Amino acid sequence: MFKLPLTRRLPAIFLFAGIILISLLWYVPARASEPEQQTEEYCLTCHSQPDLKMTLQNGDVVPLFIDQQELAHSVHSPIGIECEACHTSITTYPHPPITYQSRRELSRTYYSACQKCHPDNYTRTLDSMHAKAAEAGNLNAPICTDCHGTHYIQPPDEPRTLIPATCGNCHSQEYSVYQSSVHGNALSQESNPDVPVCTTCHGVHNIQNPLTPEFRISEPDLCASCHANQSMMSKYGLSADVYSLYSISWHGVDVSIYKARWPNVQHTSAVCTDCHGIHDIFKPDDPASSVNPKNLLVTCQKCHPGVSPNWTGAWTGHYKVSLQRTPFLFYVDSFYSFFTPLILWIVGIYIALQFIRFMVDRVRSSL
Amino acid sequence: MKSQPQPTPAQRVKLVRTFPRFNLSQRWEHAVLLLCVAVLLTTGLPQKYHTTTWSQAIITSPERLNTIQQIHHITALVLTALVLYHLGKAIYLISRRKLPGDMLPTLQDIKDAWAMLLYLIYIRKQKPAFGKYNFEQKVTYWFLFFSLGIMLVSGYVMWFPKVVTRLIPGGVIPGAIMAHSTEAIVTLIFIVLFHFYHVHIERLNLSIFSGWLNEEDMRTYHSLEYRQLVREPHSEQDSGVPKA
Repeated sequence: MFKLPLTRRLPAIFLFAGIILISLLWYVPARASEPEQQTEEYCLTCHSQPDLKMTLQNGDVVPLFIDQQELAHSVHSPIGIECEACHTSITTYPHPPITYQSRRELSRTYYSACQKCHPDNYTRTLDSMHAKAAEAGNLNAPICTDCHGTHYIQPPDEPRTLIPATCGNCHSQEYSVYQSSVHGNALSQESNPDVPVCTTCHGVHNIQNPLTPEFRISEPDLCASCHANQSMMSKYGLSADVYSLYSISWHGVDVSIYKARWPNVQHTSAVCTDCHGIHDIFKPDDPASSVNPKNLLVTCQKCHPGVSPNWTGAWTGHYKVSLQRTPFLFYVDSFYSFFTPLILWIVGIYIALQFIRFMVDRVRSSL
Repeated sequence: MKSQPQPTPAQRVKLVRTFPRFNLSQRWEHAVLLLCVAVLLTTGLPQKYHTTTWSQAIITSPERLNTIQQIHHITALVLTALVLYHLGKAIYLISRRKLPGDMLPTLQDIKDAWAMLLYLIYIRKQKPAFGKYNFEQKVTYWFLFFSLGIMLVSGYVMWFPKVVTRLIPGGVIPGAIMAHSTEAIVTLIFIVLFHFYHVHIERLNLSIFSGWLNEEDMRTYHSLEYRQLVREPHSEQDSGVPKA
């Protein structure tokens, strides 16, 4: 190995070191500031600028500002689920080019990221009325982020009034009707924890079409899940027998047959909502209630056109048989609760005696 | 024509003296009633006991249910016609003062029932003697008479509730539903226990189909009537048997 004096070797060392340093300068900025689990901080270096926005091809303006304070109070950020968890396609700056035509297209693409961590709820939504609306071409049908929000996701039911308000963003008419109803009013005025909100009846992620025969046939059970609950109803001085008495009524028997046998067949016998209303349920003594005695005839006439005012008397009204409310039924009931066992016993004993005597005589005569 | 061979003693026909019990109209009425009640029960009970498997085997579809209800209604119309015919005939006979009146309940029936009860519990040795219709048969007739009345009235209330509530309060409708449903069962139990025992088990009594009873049955079960008939026989009861 031949040796050069150190002074002769210096230029080569500098050249070599220089090449390495320059190549480091060229290479490092792209890699070095991508620390693990610190994407949020990194992204916010740009996205904390309030006027950051972009314009998509159809002219939609997408604000790109992220409020750091709000983000810190969302459900995801504090537990370390940061930007890249959802923005999987953006790993570098500059970002890959945006090809979305519209803001909606962008949302509909991004929301599938929810599936990564919430596969059950995501799958349920695929079975929902909303997903079917989307399949039918309505791209405004809601996706996860429309109800839950995007960056600043909060628990969806805190406070509980948030739920109907969320649904009301689209279903504004139903929301306003609901708010004036006995349920909605108790929710907004008393923060009642028992009254149903939209999701109590319609479900949460797999919301079904409420106009199908299947929904209609199981509708009394839906109401019964609260109104047959003795402990809950006693809090409000309501009868918990309404469902059991309904199910032995003319309507209820008919509905129970269809439910047990032909749940897919559209039936016309009255379920709870046909008389009490759907979103517009009021207390029966409220003059606005469809089952208020003043309005009852009109309510009956919806299905029984042209019936006379006497007709409403045929409805035993979720009450047990009593002399005061249903005197005729009371007398019939009393008569048969006496007459049926009486006939059964008299005839049974008489025939038994006859048969015994008949057999004894027969045996005796054959001896 | 071949001459009949002389019958040997073994082949000799046993001659039975018969007594008329029911006329043709009564026999037809019973047959129609029997059929109507059978059809009404067959189409009614599956509707009442809709939760049972046997009912579900019959009512297999809403269309089938509709058919069953139509059969029930048509049969009810036939039964109504029968009841009207029966009542009309009774009114006609009353107006002509020809109603036999054998079926009307009397004080003697209560005495007979008491005597029968004592006989059944071995206090009396002999059964009471009965006329044409004993108290059991009268109970059967009048029980079904009122039962059919309740079934028909309540049935029409259920069938035409709109018309009914134009005339009378709506409270009768749930009452009619309950009465129709319960009375049907009471009647069924009554027919099966009481009527079937007397006409099938105690003895096979087919006189309501044939129209006549033989002499032995007459003597055993209708001794008062038998004695009366034998003492003063009517010409139409002459069956050609030489008097003993």
